[in-house]
Amino acid sequence: MIALEDVTKRYDSLTAVDGVSFEVPSGEVCVLIGPSGCGKTTTLRMINRLIEPTSGRIVIDGRDVMGIRPEELRRHIGYVIQSVGLFPHLTVAENVATVPKLLGWERSRYSPRVLELLEIVGLDADEYAKKYPRQLSGGQAQRVGVARALAADPPLLLMDEPFGAVDPLTRERLQAEFARIQRELGKTVVFVTHDVDEAIRLADRIALMRDGRLEQYDTPEALLDHPASKFVHDFMGADRALKRLGRARVADVMTSDVLSTTDGTGGVSRESCKEARFFYLTDDEGTLEGWVDCHVLDAGTSPEEAGTLVDWREAAVQPDTTLKEALSRMLGLGFRNVAVVDERGRLLGEVSLSAIERTMAEGDAHIANLPEGEILGVPPEEGVPPEARAQLDEGVQPEEGEVTT
Amino acid sequence: MALAGCLLLPFVEFRPNRIASGVPEGFAVAGLSGWLLVAAAALALISAFLPARSRGPALLGTGAATAILLLSALGSAAERLQEGAPVIARVSIGSGAWLAAIGAITVWFAGSRATGSVRVNRAVSVIALLAGLAVMLWGSVGELSLAKEYAVQSRRFWMLVRQHLVLSGAGLGAGMLIGVPLGVLASRSRVVRDFGLGVVSVIQTIPSMAMLGLLIAPLAALGLTAIGTTPAVIALALYALLPIMRNTFVGLAGVDPATIDAGRGMGMGRLQLLFRVEVPLALPLVIEGVRAAAVLVIGIAAVTAFIGAGGLGILVFQGWGQQADDLTLLGAVPMVVLAVFADAAMRMLRRLAVSPGIEEGGLS
Repeated sequence: MIALEDVTKRYDSLTAVDGVSFEVPSGEVCVLIGPSGCGKTTTLRMINRLIEPTSGRIVIDGRDVMGIRPEELRRHIGYVIQSVGLFPHLTVAENVATVPKLLGWERSRYSPRVLELLEIVGLDADEYAKKYPRQLSGGQAQRVGVARALAADPPLLLMDEPFGAVDPLTRERLQAEFARIQRELGKTVVFVTHDVDEAIRLADRIALMRDGRLEQYDTPEALLDHPASKFVHDFMGADRALKRLGRARVADVMTSDVLSTTDGTGGVSRESCKEARFFYLTDDEGTLEGWVDCHVLDAGTSPEEAGTLVDWREAAVQPDTTLKEALSRMLGLGFRNVAVVDERGRLLGEVSLSAIERTMAEGDAHIANLPEGEILGVPPEEGVPPEARAQLDEGVQPEEGEVTT
Repeated sequence: MALAGCLLLPFVEFRPNRIASGVPEGFAVAGLSGWLLVAAAALALISAFLPARSRGPALLGTGAATAILLLSALGSAAERLQEGAPVIARVSIGSGAWLAAIGAITVWFAGSRATGSVRVNRAVSVIALLAGLAVMLWGSVGELSLAKEYAVQSRRFWMLVRQHLVLSGAGLGAGMLIGVPLGVLASRSRVVRDFGLGVVSVIQTIPSMAMLGLLIAPLAALGLTAIGTTPAVIALALYALLPIMRNTFVGLAGVDPATIDAGRGMGMGRLQLLFRVEVPLALPLVIEGVRAAAVLVIGIAAVTAFIGAGGLGILVFQGWGQQADDLTLLGAVPMVVLAVFADAAMRMLRRLAVSPGIEEGGLS
């Protein structure tokens, strides 16, 4: 557990952080968010004493950080920054081994650990261990950055806009991976971002800051539903219902009860469709190759004509995808169902609009009862990814949409 | 240029004795190897206009061949001219041959640049070196005046080479011992940066002869004379200081702040950060500074012969004093060779010491 007690940082005339207090229970992700200059990064950097507080206390598991030598303290706190800061003269493996080496681990102890970590962050150890940072893409570099921070298995992780410098698609993937790693490892994480969607997706608690003060510290649901001030309300955005969808994952609402065949369109007939909308086509490995639209079959078309071949990377979602992204994908494709595949494209099931609606109904937002305009006419708020907004703005009519992929 | 040198300017000069002025002779006096040389130079000229892909290897080959043939042709020319002449007659290398040498080496380097393959370049260098040695051993290079001066002076020559190396090495070493820490301090402290770099830059502008004179007073204050090895090494160290200190500072200042932030954030102490992150990242520039300093110091070490520090400068000044140009050359040419070797050694060191992760082309 980590507790900030009335922490203040003053620079001459400027007060960067002003009497901030909050607690992060062990194993939770606390996201610090706010407009630029609100003091969120300063707050983060005071936790590992890269910046010394002017007054107040920071206590980690009962110990005041001011009582621990800074180097010693930092070696037991994972640290990830936006610009990654990998050491360019060291290989990926050497980068990851940095903190274990500082802690005096034997090679026999840190070598297997390095390989294990690379696998954890989704990099093939054989391929990447000997590479140098400049041979990596931005997303790969940030994975190595996360592996490096986790190397000595610190209980606490500080992350300063870790996914801020990569393209939206990579960011979405890194977020999903981070959520997965966090579910496995259960670290206590303090995470700085200015991206509301990222905060809602990853946070157990959000600390919203403004001008060095803590505006509200609570769960994402509470910030969305019970904003403490107009500032919080405005900052979180008006599309609260849609934002909530950013917290749930496809895995929570998907069904694995789908029809599929490896025999191509020949394996599909009108009768075999039963109640389903789609009959999925896969190869022998189960990789999604396309589908037959049963509604079109009903109209008397042959299975060949009703079939569509697709690239699963574009036409399907994965279990870690947020419902918000899944909904956006449905709107883009023009269907009420979308296939769910694993990371290699193998069909796992599907997720339907009605399942998403039920999730919403469980909260107090009733997406299903809202007139269409209110869902689709999302004001162009900060935080809605432009591509999602573009898809929403198209005003797709789900029933008659054409598959364009 | 090599071609023009061969054709237009005197290739060698024939002198009746060591110090008399010579009679110019053209390349044809070398006979067959002279003509081969011209042919090689002509090919080199043609190579320059080849399409990009074959230009590199062609320049490389013809440049190296021209250099070797030049050596061989000089020997032949000397041998032929001295046939029947009195023993004290000398054959010196003429301006045309010098120009040809410069041209050949320029072509060679241009070729190695254009080829860009370390392996090919190394192979050509080794072959050329072996061929050069062969020409030296079995050819008639020994008939040249330069070689005759060497034959007379050989024992003293090697002693002076050693002295020169010791002087330059000590000066460079002292310059590194002071310059690198000063560079590190300059990257930490504004005062050291502004003041230190300023002072060192001023030192750099003092002409070398003036420096040796200026050192008299401070050395006397320390109870030392301004004659001999010690003041020479001090002067050389002072000259080595600027490139080393400045490059160390620039190298350290160029380290990405994010890298340093990451290092601090992971719990590195100041010294760990310096030695594990900053110095390895600044190393290419530091070595580059040492390389520049080495070449500089080898040159300036010649002047320290004036204050009795010895070194190859002695041969140069004696040669001037006796108007024996070839004796001067016997001092000057090895200095050039030393500088070239120092340069190559530092490049090699850089390849070995600098991480391939930060070297241009280090990951091919």
